[in-house]
Amino acid sequence: MPKVDGDAIRKVNVMTPRLQKLKKEWEDAPPQVYVDGTLLFTESWKETEGLPLDVRWAKAFEKRMLEGPVTIREDELIVGSLTKFIRGNGTLCAMKPREILAMCETGRFDRKSSDIDATYIDPEDLRKLTEDAKYWVENMPQRNFVRDAISAEMGEDHFDLMFDRGMVFEGRAVREVVDRGIFENWGAFGGGNCMPTKPAIDNGLNYIIKLAENEIEKCMALGFQQPGLPENALRKYHLLQACIISCKAVIANAKRYADLAREQAVSCPDMARKAELLKIAEVCENVPANPPRNFWEAVQSLRFLHLAPWIESSERPEVGVGRIDQILYPYYEKDMLKGDITRQDAAEMIGALWLKIRETENLVTVKREHRAAPGTLLPDVTLGGTDVNGNCLINEVSWLTLEVMRQTLLSEPAIYIRYHENIDEDFMVFALECNKDFGGGNPAFLGDKLGTQRYLDRGVPIWDAVNWNASGCLGYHLDIAEHQGGFYSLNQAKIFELTLWNGFDNRTGKQLGLKTGDVTKMKSVDEIIEAFFKQEDYFCEILRKHYFIWWSVEQQHSPMSGLRCAMLYEDCIPAGMNSREGGARYPICRASWIGDRGITDIADCLAAIQRLVFDTKKVAMAELLEAMKANWEGHEKLRLMCLNTPKYGNDEDMPDEFFTKIMLGTQEIMQSRPDPFTGEKPMLFKGAASGHTTQGKSVGALPNGRYQWTPVNDAATSAMPGMDVNGPTALINSATRDFSLASASCGFTHNMKFSKQLLDTPEKIKNLANLIKIYFQRGGWHIQFNIHSAEELKEAQKDPMKYKNLLVRVGGYSAYFVDLPRDLQDEIVERTMHAM
Amino acid sequence: MTEPKGIVFNIQRYTLDDGPGTRCTVFLKGCPLRCTWCSNPESQHPWPEVTHRDTFCEKCLSCMEVCELKAISVDESGIYIDRELCTDCGACVEVCPSTALQFQGEAMSVDEVFRVIKKDIHYYRNSGGGVTVSGGEALMQPEFVEALFAMCHEAGIGTCLDTSGYGNTLGLEKILQHTDLVYYDVKHLDPAVHAKYTGQSNALILHNLELVVNSGTPVVIRIPFIPGINDSDDDVAAIAGKMSEIARTAQIHLLPYHRYGMGKYKTLDRDYEMGDTERPSDESLNRAQNIFESYGFDCEIRK
Repeated sequence: MPKVDGDAIRKVNVMTPRLQKLKKEWEDAPPQVYVDGTLLFTESWKETEGLPLDVRWAKAFEKRMLEGPVTIREDELIVGSLTKFIRGNGTLCAMKPREILAMCETGRFDRKSSDIDATYIDPEDLRKLTEDAKYWVENMPQRNFVRDAISAEMGEDHFDLMFDRGMVFEGRAVREVVDRGIFENWGAFGGGNCMPTKPAIDNGLNYIIKLAENEIEKCMALGFQQPGLPENALRKYHLLQACIISCKAVIANAKRYADLAREQAVSCPDMARKAELLKIAEVCENVPANPPRNFWEAVQSLRFLHLAPWIESSERPEVGVGRIDQILYPYYEKDMLKGDITRQDAAEMIGALWLKIRETENLVTVKREHRAAPGTLLPDVTLGGTDVNGNCLINEVSWLTLEVMRQTLLSEPAIYIRYHENIDEDFMVFALECNKDFGGGNPAFLGDKLGTQRYLDRGVPIWDAVNWNASGCLGYHLDIAEHQGGFYSLNQAKIFELTLWNGFDNRTGKQLGLKTGDVTKMKSVDEIIEAFFKQEDYFCEILRKHYFIWWSVEQQHSPMSGLRCAMLYEDCIPAGMNSREGGARYPICRASWIGDRGITDIADCLAAIQRLVFDTKKVAMAELLEAMKANWEGHEKLRLMCLNTPKYGNDEDMPDEFFTKIMLGTQEIMQSRPDPFTGEKPMLFKGAASGHTTQGKSVGALPNGRYQWTPVNDAATSAMPGMDVNGPTALINSATRDFSLASASCGFTHNMKFSKQLLDTPEKIKNLANLIKIYFQRGGWHIQFNIHSAEELKEAQKDPMKYKNLLVRVGGYSAYFVDLPRDLQDEIVERTMHAM
Repeated sequence: MTEPKGIVFNIQRYTLDDGPGTRCTVFLKGCPLRCTWCSNPESQHPWPEVTHRDTFCEKCLSCMEVCELKAISVDESGIYIDRELCTDCGACVEVCPSTALQFQGEAMSVDEVFRVIKKDIHYYRNSGGGVTVSGGEALMQPEFVEALFAMCHEAGIGTCLDTSGYGNTLGLEKILQHTDLVYYDVKHLDPAVHAKYTGQSNALILHNLELVVNSGTPVVIRIPFIPGINDSDDDVAAIAGKMSEIARTAQIHLLPYHRYGMGKYKTLDRDYEMGDTERPSDESLNRAQNIFESYGFDCEIRK
């Protein structure tokens, strides 16, 4: 890879007047509910009664692509919108009719989406949406399949015990989102990601259509020879049909943009814009149907193929963008060599793409705090990586992408850099500069070697294993090895709480867990740990069975596979199965994921018990339980004592050993039960987003000093807020105490907070790069740095206990922010604001 | 030989301002100087002291109950310790549930300190960093520093001595054998003014500096730049002139005065003498930098 001229990259101006204007329009636009999409979907659904599910879904997609609105906003370069509004919230009643109906009936469209406080709906649209939602509530064919299957197998009690308000069955998937206790299901993934793939962009959809047509022809001539039941042949036939319909729909939609551009060009008085519009027409005429001929077409093709899954099922929680630098670089290089584009042109083009990705939003129907990942739609972008020989794949598009992020200052997409020992050092410095300027943990870093190794371990050959990208919050994904079999999460903190109460749940007044013994009679922390593992084992068994039934039944009724088949055409077309059914190149990777959360809380609880009950004997276990039951009311002093016992994250043996012990024990328990479909060990997932808020809502007060119903600790390896007082190296040492921890899990996230001061010179940035290096050498998976904002410092002024660890450092001096006199604190807040 | 113990008041990991690379800074307690601008007042007395962080006080009054000498009072505005009565026995620290009351200073063996240092050994090696001993005044505990630095060198960890230079010359010489870099403070050239603001003359400091320079150990001259005390062109030129005589190859760091230490005085029930003195202006810093540069020095204004 040729050396990138970093200074030249830093000089590009992403925010041209054009992009400034488009960004401002987006910022000023009111969020609006967009209903035409769901109405067209329903109309098509009614027309296709009797057809196979896959074909019906593809047809409903086709209708929206052909008849839904297309818009080209003034001065846009990259086109393709989810709705007709600048900030339209797309939605499909078929996906979650009851939730939408409830919103319609209460008239409350004030649920927060990514950063929307409320969304507006036109009264006439509201009437139509209500009607549409009602239709789906009454006509959802597969509504009760999963519930019936589970209660037949596990009994009605199962729901009462495991879920507060039972499970909510919505549309094609099960959603259990309310007041979660022990289990959490983030399962409405619809069978994993559908995202743009490089081969689909490079070869174009016409090529894929041809392949699918040939496959049908071949099967018709020579026989399907599909393994398994006779109906599998028919299933293949329908899947290929759905694939062809979906591809044609995307092409037809692009052509509508071409037509619109030409139409606008006719009446455009500005000659420069007229030429641009004609160029847009030419671009949309060619992609994504055919291979892109230049950089512009490649970016536009990526846009169309990232948008398509959103339109196809407007409730999908995540559509990754993927390895944007690897996809776009060949086109960039060619155009640059020919002198057809400049860096500046490319930067504006990627910036335009960035704004379009940010525009995409859906209608959020559950409360913000109940969402698995509020504030994001997770269009993860991945940069860099290694080839089979370990060479660094950072290229000039990687640099430009970071510069685009830095200048557009949009909360999304998030960028993940695959970190490895051979990574370009200048690029690392640049990435951290961007992180500092951006402030909010963007870009983050992922362990390149570990990501690849996980696929190698499952038998994927190296040439394919190296092609993974970031996904969700924060796992990895290899599109040809679909692995998102299903996703469940166990609330460890809750299970620990139950252990302390001998399996009894104070909140519901029910015996939810096993009777593992009275903790006040236990002689050591080890006994408590043993009891906890017993409880965990018990819930794991229930979880696995529940998952087995849920996933197998849900799969039979989940129709969205046409587009996914197209994106993974190399494998899914000949297999005649979509990736989820086993059509992926490496179906063995399709193992279930189990999430666990709250391990930091448990380690800190055990440390408090060890110190106060067993070591110093200052407190009796019964006294501690009483205080917890009272939510510390009247026991304030005891709570402070608990808070001030050693905490995980300080590189101190006692709490860190508990952390490792619980982490490894949990891993063993969870992985002792193979995925019921593949026989593979399930992957453990320790997601970064805010499941900790939701899960905390069911957990009572804990011996680490936590109040009841408050969030449990976020991320996998972060410390209790404010409690990591020994600095970043200590926290990293704690998090990587056992090198093997991250290798079995996914989403092993590690969030760190820094004050700007630690990044204010090039030397300090190099030190941070070194910190990252050591973190990954020690086996880490994900790390991101958030920079303390002025708002946070103000928060620290109000709630000093939570910000005990916030240091102010200058040469030869260190003190804690919260100890400074008020006017000095204000001075620092002021400075932080101006430095932004 | 009995192992020397050091009175340590803080071990700060991941420090980036106290020498090259990623470092661990060991702050030793006790200092012979009393600089009016001192930002680490808790470092001055050589014995462990009780401090109070009023922000965290929950007004539970446990400390008042336990103090036999009746040295503590707590009211809405915070904690007050009568330092005439207090013997720093630490009974109050023991009962304080919220860590508002703390001990500054702990006797630690070289091994104990090294155990903490060693935890970050990978971070030093990869970044060209190491350990810095600061204070207080490191030279007040020379055997301890010498033993600690020797141990660091044995483990391949770089060492930096951050000193005011006011200390036993013999001890300094021994420490230098295991020192890779010296951060050496120079505050004022006029012995009388120096004595007025720091409590001691500068003669020993300048003498020791020559010793450090002659030892061949790389040295950085650090000048706390204090408005009204050493920020005039004449003051700066005097220092620059002297340095060009005795430390010609040294790098110069200008350390702008800051008030971050102010809050610490209250935790010790002491008054802050610098009043409203503001951070020096960029203009005055730049001027001082120019003067040093005109003498041929590499001079950096530190943040």
